[in-house]
Amino acid sequence: MIIDAKHAFEKEQEHALIDRCINGCQRSFADLFTRYEKKVYALSLRLSADPSAAEDITQEVFVQVWNKLAQFQGQSKFSTWLYSVTSNIAISYLRKQKNWLQRVVSSEDVGMESVEVDACPMLGGLDKLIVRLPERARLVFVLHAVEGYRHEEIATMLNMAVGSSKSQYHRARQLMQEWYENE
Amino acid sequence: MNKKPFDEMLKQEIQNLPDEITPTRELWPGVERAISSEAMEISASTNIKPWLGVAVCLGAALFSVLMIMKQEPNNAVLIADFFESQKQSLLVRYQSQPALTDNWQAQLVELEAAEAAIRQALDEDPQNAALLRMLSQVYQQQLDLITKVHQPTWQQI
Repeated sequence: MIIDAKHAFEKEQEHALIDRCINGCQRSFADLFTRYEKKVYALSLRLSADPSAAEDITQEVFVQVWNKLAQFQGQSKFSTWLYSVTSNIAISYLRKQKNWLQRVVSSEDVGMESVEVDACPMLGGLDKLIVRLPERARLVFVLHAVEGYRHEEIATMLNMAVGSSKSQYHRARQLMQEWYENE
Repeated sequence: MNKKPFDEMLKQEIQNLPDEITPTRELWPGVERAISSEAMEISASTNIKPWLGVAVCLGAALFSVLMIMKQEPNNAVLIADFFESQKQSLLVRYQSQPALTDNWQAQLVELEAAEAAIRQALDEDPQNAALLRMLSQVYQQQLDLITKVHQPTWQQI
């Protein structure tokens, strides 16, 4: 009962904060940023496997959120909407990073090298394996296993067939299992 | 040492994934700069003064005349005709309206003197591009002067 009341109060507070941001209050937006910055960064880092790119993506997410906040209908949780914006911006960012040759031959980026992973103190546990996955397998794994998207949704987001999303998920699991068991 | 089976480890690790990771650099200043500059752009675009519309139109007219100039043989006459008609229509429009400064007519006389000097020089050298440009500028200054001293928003700038 107390927990429910606390959640309701927090939700109410967040709605008021969002309303102030929609009305152009930058100070309230700074509060919203502080509340979600590290969460958005965590998701951006898992999707991009690049600490510096994840920082750029996080900034881009909040600039877009400032511009599009009025479009947030309040039907879903704000965090759900925010992570969906983050995923889409990260995917778009990764697409833009590819040169024309990579686009033509559909070659994909490999993930971080294990040496790079070891030099990254912010990564621990499963994140150390996720960031080593090749791009498509990593995106599908994070969106499906961590963020809870269905393969149909992922297929639309990544512009691939549903079957490809499933096979990339399987590939991600296989690679991680191999690394886990052999290292 | 025995490792946990992969599936078990994966399930457990997914549940324990940290919700938050701290970036290495400060990200707020960049976001703040971006949203502030966007807000300034929006504010600037919504606070355009009415006389700016007139100035933009006149600027466009000036541009058109300069384009025509390249083909017309008597450029000075063409520019003079165009701006003289603009000037007269502005003077007629504002004749019953009080001006914001007392000495605007003296300023206009000075500009007209400059105009006469440039036109005299153009009689000697009708195709001189620099002189033609100066003539257009001095006409434009006259139009701007007449418009601004009769616009109420002038004081708010």
